[in-house]
Amino acid sequence: MAALLRTTGLTKMFGGLSAVDDLDLLVDEGEIMGLIGPNGSGKTTALNLITGFIKPTRGRVTYRGADVTGVQPYDLARVGLVRTFQITTLFENLTVRENVLHAGHLNNSTSLFGALARSKKFREQSSRMEERAQRLLSLVGLGERIDTVARDLSAGEHRYLEIAIALATDPRMLLLDEPATGLNPEEAGYLMDLIRTLRDQGMTVLLVEHNMRLITNICTRITVLNFGAKIAEGTPEEIVGNEDVVTAYLGKRRGA
Amino acid sequence: MLLRFPARHPVGMAILGIALAVPLVLFTNAYNRGLLVLIVIYAVGGLSLDYIMGEMGQFSFGHAAFWGFGAYVSAKLALDLGISPWIGFLAAPAAAGLVGLLIGYIALRRTRNLELAIVTLGFGVLAWTVALRWRPVTGGPSGLRQVPPPSILGWEIRSELAYYYFALLVLLLIVFFLSRLRESRFGKAVRSIHENEDLARSVGVSATRHYVYAFSFACALVGFSGALYAHHFRFVNPNLLGLQYMFIFLIVVLVGGTGTLWGPVLGAVIFVLVSEWLRALQEYRFVIFGVVLLLVVLFMPRGVYPTVRGALGRVVERRAAARSAPGSGSGGPGETAVG
Repeated sequence: MAALLRTTGLTKMFGGLSAVDDLDLLVDEGEIMGLIGPNGSGKTTALNLITGFIKPTRGRVTYRGADVTGVQPYDLARVGLVRTFQITTLFENLTVRENVLHAGHLNNSTSLFGALARSKKFREQSSRMEERAQRLLSLVGLGERIDTVARDLSAGEHRYLEIAIALATDPRMLLLDEPATGLNPEEAGYLMDLIRTLRDQGMTVLLVEHNMRLITNICTRITVLNFGAKIAEGTPEEIVGNEDVVTAYLGKRRGA
Repeated sequence: MLLRFPARHPVGMAILGIALAVPLVLFTNAYNRGLLVLIVIYAVGGLSLDYIMGEMGQFSFGHAAFWGFGAYVSAKLALDLGISPWIGFLAAPAAAGLVGLLIGYIALRRTRNLELAIVTLGFGVLAWTVALRWRPVTGGPSGLRQVPPPSILGWEIRSELAYYYFALLVLLLIVFFLSRLRESRFGKAVRSIHENEDLARSVGVSATRHYVYAFSFACALVGFSGALYAHHFRFVNPNLLGLQYMFIFLIVVLVGGTGTLWGPVLGAVIFVLVSEWLRALQEYRFVIFGVVLLLVVLFMPRGVYPTVRGALGRVVERRAAARSAPGSGSGGPGETAVG
């Protein structure tokens, strides 16, 4: 398997504090990689650095062999690197369907003139995008909710819609920032099944999660961050048994 | 095809009928017909400001400056170089759009804050001062007079009636253009940035580039409105770039309703008619408008147009529900299946 995404020495300083410290990360094509760590360990900052929302102080990000350090998010989306957000991030005032249609920007090849004249090509493509939106929404389990305004969805449905929005760009790699936050165990289970389905369809996933239990049974490998630095890396079994990881999460055992 | 459209839009057709008939039936003298032209000019200006406010969620304090700028450009071309107003109608939006492009490029690097409002405020003051002081070019405080009207095959459109019909046609084309623009890839991108910039960027939309073009487009549109003004009222002066007209456009948008397309058109009708009715009060009219604006914001926060349309829609729905299924209750429009 070839490396799809790699960071080398990725560092972000906020004042004197390093939020991400010399992070080396490697995600292979077709795997589900977990990035975990306690609150404030730099997971979201790492994701922001990778997706171009903030610029690193030092270090590099390579995607499909090309240096993409500091490349803007919209240009990364163009090459198939797309993220979701930790805080629910939708086009809140649009319907579920419109959310996906508006996110289909990159797949929309109609000209301005075509839209003005409502040309045959424009209408054909509009209905193609419509069908595709329908398909994506059925995939994430929102097939029955397409005309609901996004802000009226439940917490779980918000998360599914966020994934549908990301999928509308035809990504090759998805970076999901704590997608299970606010979900009940049943919804979270459904979400994990969905992520597995996406992987089976050929997508590579970097899953940032706070809840360790949730991702040990879905990820192929896991990287653990604490205070911005990598403290462990390995298969879920290796991570669960790792003393440093347990300490980072639960604190030092008394007398140990 | 041609017959299906009027059948589907009975209300729209009725309003169009009224718009066409009004200068023949009610507004028969030249002065009153001039008011109709003014309505159309303000409607175009309001639509363009609403593109910035309603579609982009931004604000421009320099909207009147772009309006006046368009008026000066077209007037100047016609007076000094003898260039036809028809060319002026294209040159004015082109010039205003170019300046808008430059200002947008400076101010819209960050789209979430007040940069655009502040930079356009600066531009407005600057443009007004230049118009006032640069006498050799702008004519100073008295401006430029004797701006020629457009002419067709040697016949000058001096009549208010002809000019009104011409302006009305252009207004309809602009509304049509704006409604189709919303469905286009560009329109959707602008809407998505307005809704959530971070998300828009992460799905492949360059926020800055789209907003710079969108702002430039709105400036071009108001520049065109300015040219319409110059060749009808046949003079331009520095007041056109000032805060008074800025407030007029703002009232037109806010009273009519932002993000509704027809809102600013209705706003322009209301503004011109009420302001004419209060003519005797002169400058104090703006006191009344201040109060009107306050009342609208308090009681119809979305503007007059959406409120009225919502109320009409409910009446129509209730009638239809009563007719088709008595006693079965009303199903919301959102529940209908999509074809």
